[in-house]
Amino acid sequence: MSVKIFSEQDFPAYLPKLNALYDDLFSGGKGFRSQLIQIISKPLGVPKEVENLLSQTIEFIHNASLLHDDLIDRSQLRRGKPAAWAKYTPEYAVLAGDYLLARVMVNLSGHGNIKLVQFTSQTISDLLEGEWLQDSVVGDFFISVTQLDRIHNLKTGSLFKWCLKAPFKALEKYDKDLHIILDEMGTLLGQLFQRSDDLLDYDIRNDEGKVILGDLKSGYLNSFGAYVSNNMNRAAIDKMVKSKTMDDFYLVFSDDRIQGKEQFLKFVNHFDSENIQKIRLYDHYVDQLNVKLNEMNLNQIDIKNLITTLKSLTDLLYFRKRPA
Amino acid sequence: MSHFVTCKKNSDDFKKYIWGTFSETERALPIESLNVGTVSESITFEIKSINEIETPTQFQIFIRLIKWNYFFLIFVPLYYIFVKNFVYQRLFDLLSFYLSIAASLFLFAGLNIKNDILDHISGFDWIIKSKSKRPVLQGWITAHAANKFSNILIIIAACLAGPICFRQNEVFRISIITLLLFLVGSFLNKNNYKFSYISEFILFIMLGPALCSGYQVALGSGVDTEVLIFGSAWGVAVLFLMYVVQFEHLFETSQAKIYNTMTKMGFDKSKSFLKLWWGFFILLWIIYHYFYASQYWLWFSALVLIFWSLSAFVQIAQADSPMGSNLFRVRRSCFKIFTLMILLLILEQSWYLYNHLDWLF
Repeated sequence: MSVKIFSEQDFPAYLPKLNALYDDLFSGGKGFRSQLIQIISKPLGVPKEVENLLSQTIEFIHNASLLHDDLIDRSQLRRGKPAAWAKYTPEYAVLAGDYLLARVMVNLSGHGNIKLVQFTSQTISDLLEGEWLQDSVVGDFFISVTQLDRIHNLKTGSLFKWCLKAPFKALEKYDKDLHIILDEMGTLLGQLFQRSDDLLDYDIRNDEGKVILGDLKSGYLNSFGAYVSNNMNRAAIDKMVKSKTMDDFYLVFSDDRIQGKEQFLKFVNHFDSENIQKIRLYDHYVDQLNVKLNEMNLNQIDIKNLITTLKSLTDLLYFRKRPA
Repeated sequence: MSHFVTCKKNSDDFKKYIWGTFSETERALPIESLNVGTVSESITFEIKSINEIETPTQFQIFIRLIKWNYFFLIFVPLYYIFVKNFVYQRLFDLLSFYLSIAASLFLFAGLNIKNDILDHISGFDWIIKSKSKRPVLQGWITAHAANKFSNILIIIAACLAGPICFRQNEVFRISIITLLLFLVGSFLNKNNYKFSYISEFILFIMLGPALCSGYQVALGSGVDTEVLIFGSAWGVAVLFLMYVVQFEHLFETSQAKIYNTMTKMGFDKSKSFLKLWWGFFILLWIIYHYFYASQYWLWFSALVLIFWSLSAFVQIAQADSPMGSNLFRVRRSCFKIFTLMILLLILEQSWYLYNHLDWLF
């Protein structure tokens, strides 16, 4: 299914560059969030058209945030290609992002579920709040992991929460306890995804070939950087910030590069252990969800498959293990 | 290995877990939730065996529990009252004074523990992560045991206060007024006196004018304008510390919909408010010194205080995000000027004491 087009009016052909910009943007994306929507929607029996609408909605919001994010960060590349603002001008990038968000509201309000519209607006608002806060801490190399977690919960977690909750909302299932469980699951998935993404920056499980130390070089201390630099003295942090390669980075821990690398890998192991604890907590919430789903009179096999899939998500999102 | 349990806040299970009465061999540690708007509905605990929890020595738990590092809040006014009355030769009832010192120490320790327990039960301590480790939250002691301990401390304080009230009737009235204020403050805002304007005012009264007046009345010297002005200045300074902490946690508390002076004003106005509030303290400091201290101490202390405050004002002005390390720097610089103020005060009082002793002998 293409998530690009939901309605015929989505991308009018008479607007110059708009379609080309969106073609560039949508191609190459993994569409993970829309897949998550589909994973949840199927066992719940969400009608196909609604599932498509939800899938498109999350991809539109996500891509709008990328358009704006790249401009804010002045990132030259997106998915290996020139970023929209660099290729089509910053003005077009801003307008294209705004346009996507506007289409989200047009299409979603057409569905007629006001609570879903409100929830989606809140998600966009959280996302923007997270962007705003993240921008305000660029250049802050003393920020704590806890503070970054709060920012990531708004910026990354909000979209995961939306993916998990929207299919239930679309079916007008508003059980409070259920949504609290989904909130916690979304937060943890967002956190794990963000932390794993931050590890890529330090060349850990970096199969995607992400630019090494990209965040650090652009003045942003990510969650792993904050974890490593906790309790570091100012001189060591200064050395860390000036690292251009991983070899430079290892020298932050020891004058000997090999010993420095060993120290660095110890930090990675500790960071992983902390996140495995989060995965255990996530699994606890999935078990809670299982109980709730069993109260809903759904197909048992579908529920079982859904629970298995949800539990395996952390392998994909944190450990970057491809599904067999 | 630990496991997780989720229960609703209004359930009996929740009470057992939060108070730690569910098991003799396990502790329930509340899991921090970033979804603070929904945290009030249900809570997840990590159930850990006591053996899994790294516990410090009993003494370390004790000093963390009573918050010994905040005892300066009562010691400094105590020293001031002692020196003032020693110099004026108004130490009429030393026994009551010593008893009042002991009573205030026990009461302060007991209330500090109660405060931690209230934070724990209300969920405040899992929303606002404190850098200092809280014994109840860490699972070193159960809330139930800590509560019992705080009750014992408060009862001892009451027993010590009894003879003082008998010897100095005025103390009884001050204690009753303070107790009433404390109870009003506690009940007004979900049993946590830190979060409302009235509660802030009550904290100001309790740790400022009431504390100073109480000590002086226990000495048999009665209340005078000097002690009220000093007490007010001290209360304003204590509130400044509280506002700084509120400012540091502005984002988390706003998200959790916890209302206090800083969340109501927002980030930008709070910055101006902090500067104005400390400026107000300096004004009270000058007024006090103008009327009750030597000209030398008036000029010297005021100038030093103003000069040192500039660095804190700069840090406050430079804070540009409700996140990040700039908040820590604001807190550190504000605590520094507070510490300097205490040092100046102790130095000044010691100077009077030294001169008086010199004059005596």
